[in-house]
Amino acid sequence: MLQLQSITKTFPGVKALDDVSISFHPGEIHALVGENGAGKSTAIRIITGIHQPDAGLILYQGQPLHFRSYRDSLAMGIDIVNQEIQVIPDASVAENIMLDKMITFGRTGIVNWRAVNSVARRYMAMVGLNVPPTTRMRRLSAAHKQLTQIAKALAANAQVLLLDEPTSSLTEHEANNLFAILRQLRDAGRTIIFVSHKFEEVFALCDKVTVLRDGQCAGTRSIADLTRNELVRMMIGRDCQDAHLGPLNPNRDREVLRADHIVRADKADNVSFTLYEGEILGFYGLVGSGRTELARILIGEDQPDSGHLYVRGQKTRIRTVAHALYRHRIGYVTENRKEEGLLLKSPVRTNITITIWQRITNALTRRISPAREIDAASRMVRDLDIRATGLNQTTETLSGGNQQKVSIAKWLAADCDILIIDEPTVGVDVGAKEQIHRLIWELAAKHRKSIILISSDMPEIIKLATRILVFKDHRVVGELTDIDHPGKTYHLVSTAIGQYLA
Amino acid sequence: MAQENRSSQTPVSTTAHSTPAVAGLDYAPNAGPGELVSGRTIGLVISTAILFAILAIRSDSFLSPYTMSVVSRQLAFFVLIALSQAMCLVVGGMNLSVGAIGSFTTVILGLCIDKGHMPGSLAVPIALLVGSAAGFLNGTLITRLKIDSFIVTLSMMFVFMGLRSGISGGAPYRLPDSFSYIGQTDLFGVPYVFLITLLVLAAVSYIFANTVFGRRLLATGGNPDAARLSGINTDRMIVHANVLSGFFAALAAVLWASKLSSAAPETGDAWLIISFAVAIIGGTGLTGGVVSGLGILMGAAIFMLIKHGLVELKANDYYANSFLGALILLAIILDRAREVYAKRSRPPA
Repeated sequence: MLQLQSITKTFPGVKALDDVSISFHPGEIHALVGENGAGKSTAIRIITGIHQPDAGLILYQGQPLHFRSYRDSLAMGIDIVNQEIQVIPDASVAENIMLDKMITFGRTGIVNWRAVNSVARRYMAMVGLNVPPTTRMRRLSAAHKQLTQIAKALAANAQVLLLDEPTSSLTEHEANNLFAILRQLRDAGRTIIFVSHKFEEVFALCDKVTVLRDGQCAGTRSIADLTRNELVRMMIGRDCQDAHLGPLNPNRDREVLRADHIVRADKADNVSFTLYEGEILGFYGLVGSGRTELARILIGEDQPDSGHLYVRGQKTRIRTVAHALYRHRIGYVTENRKEEGLLLKSPVRTNITITIWQRITNALTRRISPAREIDAASRMVRDLDIRATGLNQTTETLSGGNQQKVSIAKWLAADCDILIIDEPTVGVDVGAKEQIHRLIWELAAKHRKSIILISSDMPEIIKLATRILVFKDHRVVGELTDIDHPGKTYHLVSTAIGQYLA
Repeated sequence: MAQENRSSQTPVSTTAHSTPAVAGLDYAPNAGPGELVSGRTIGLVISTAILFAILAIRSDSFLSPYTMSVVSRQLAFFVLIALSQAMCLVVGGMNLSVGAIGSFTTVILGLCIDKGHMPGSLAVPIALLVGSAAGFLNGTLITRLKIDSFIVTLSMMFVFMGLRSGISGGAPYRLPDSFSYIGQTDLFGVPYVFLITLLVLAAVSYIFANTVFGRRLLATGGNPDAARLSGINTDRMIVHANVLSGFFAALAAVLWASKLSSAAPETGDAWLIISFAVAIIGGTGLTGGVVSGLGILMGAAIFMLIKHGLVELKANDYYANSFLGALILLAIILDRAREVYAKRSRPPA
């Protein structure tokens, strides 16, 4: 049995975990759920020894553990199957599985590949991975990579398996396959910790669920006597507020962006859509279904092989992000704000005004006017309620939600009226999530911006969008309209989406 | 730079006293308007002052006008060479062909004047243009072929070195006496070369601190993906940075030729290590996005002070490079230590 006892972990400005106690038993699949920022990631990192708790104990089989590193937790038989699948792409499947326990000829240090492959094959069979052990890792699908990781954990004789959002890049069929294997492992007496934000999975697969909320443990319950609404209440501390924020009034006579049969190899398969003024158009689908890929074509980061784009009725080619921004006032809020959205080491001010520098430059001295820069940045900080100690706070030290607001603010400062917003609330805490939702809605409702909202968070997209396009395999497989109509309940829309994806 | 060492008979010193002209022009992207000089640069200024004081106390001739003039001239070259490297470092790349461009440009200059009988007023712009064009070629190869700057500039280093040897046959070109005026004379005891360098440094600092162009260069180095997705043409920025790099290498080469009264093909041979050493000690970020004009000046001063401190201490000159290498490493370690310290207490994504 693995127990967390009164674990507390504080980071500067955030109490990530506050007196959290959880018991994970052998032979159970235990879901760990919570909203973004609730403390799931920190809990995982503490269980796997990547972070050390400030206070509290981790007990394994009744013995206190003092992990100093990830290796320590591996040695205790705890392994993690990561959401950003970590493998060595140019090594074989067998090598990836056996990496830290290569079989050699005696002490010569020369690898006995035959033995390595045959042992690896045994673990591969346990997870139903039917490829030759010598296959290069990069040739495998996401699902097979995941299975390789589980095989690796089994090879390490891991008694506790931690799966962090394992299905985010899997098809439904592949996910079901994975679940069957997890059930087998559970029945063989292993402890499986399953981190997910998909309710369907939690209810279909897990035996128990522990809910984290704002760094605290909101309770551990048996799935059998829990309803969906109760779980939501545990997660967000009140009843589900998936209700639409209110009707939007898109102007159907004013098309602002139209894609006409866009094709791009492996990225977009004949995609057409129209975005109207004052509308929030949702792009729903799994990770890798072609939404972000399409967005990148729309902003000129990638070029279509064929098909046309029309901006405000004009046929156009968008060659670079600079074109999209300065000629067409199209902005793109990336899903990876840390990697692609922000200059993390630069101050908030710089990140907000990066899109308007040339507009606030003195023509003679070429100097960016500090006064106008500060003015523009402070207006955004005020309007979007960005919590920073000042305009010069390093962006890296802001919370996820505030970083996201900075990432959005940059486009608002540039006066973009077409905004493509990609997964706006990933890694954002509950309060900020609500604020960002309201912000997006108000941009469309009050400021008449036209918004494409890319999200794989179903409640989010149903709450905000007027229309939803459902993506699968780089194609649009369905369209749902009038989502903001009072008659369209959450249940109705989500069921319809499910049918398109089936 | 080896020749330079031999040419200065007096134990030499630094010119830290003549630097306040550019104070306050430090720019790191994370320094806000109220904090123009970053902590790192303040550390450099203090280090320079301490080294300066030690040498001033130990040596009698240290503060003599003659020494100051000699030293400030040499310092100027260090700064220009480091600037050439820093331009590429800022956008997240590097330029291994700094010295090769310098040598190549020198040969072109000599060719124009000695063989082509051109006046300096024509030959110098040509040389500067050739240096910039060499940088443009580097930048274009890096961005068009999407090849790492290390590989591109390593290859181009050999290309330029071959060209300069092939064209010159290894022999220096004679330059007329009139050409030496800028390189060998002082204005009120301050060498023209040093004054020109200060102007360049001030201009560079101004660009980075205040202009769209400078900010975009910094953003490109700070996070190329974020910069590109914020509407910055990062490829163009990388090309521009390489052009500037070539330009500064050419400027250093032209001034050096003026100082020597001859265009020596081996001019840039020792520049590569100097360019990295001074830029790094001066706090230029190795991963891009951070540069400071004042820092580079201080880096050059520290480099000089230590080099000549070793002479003063009568340390075996043959080991000098080992000390300098260790110094570069120390600068990097200190920088890394700061980063690790800053990162340690941060929550997960």
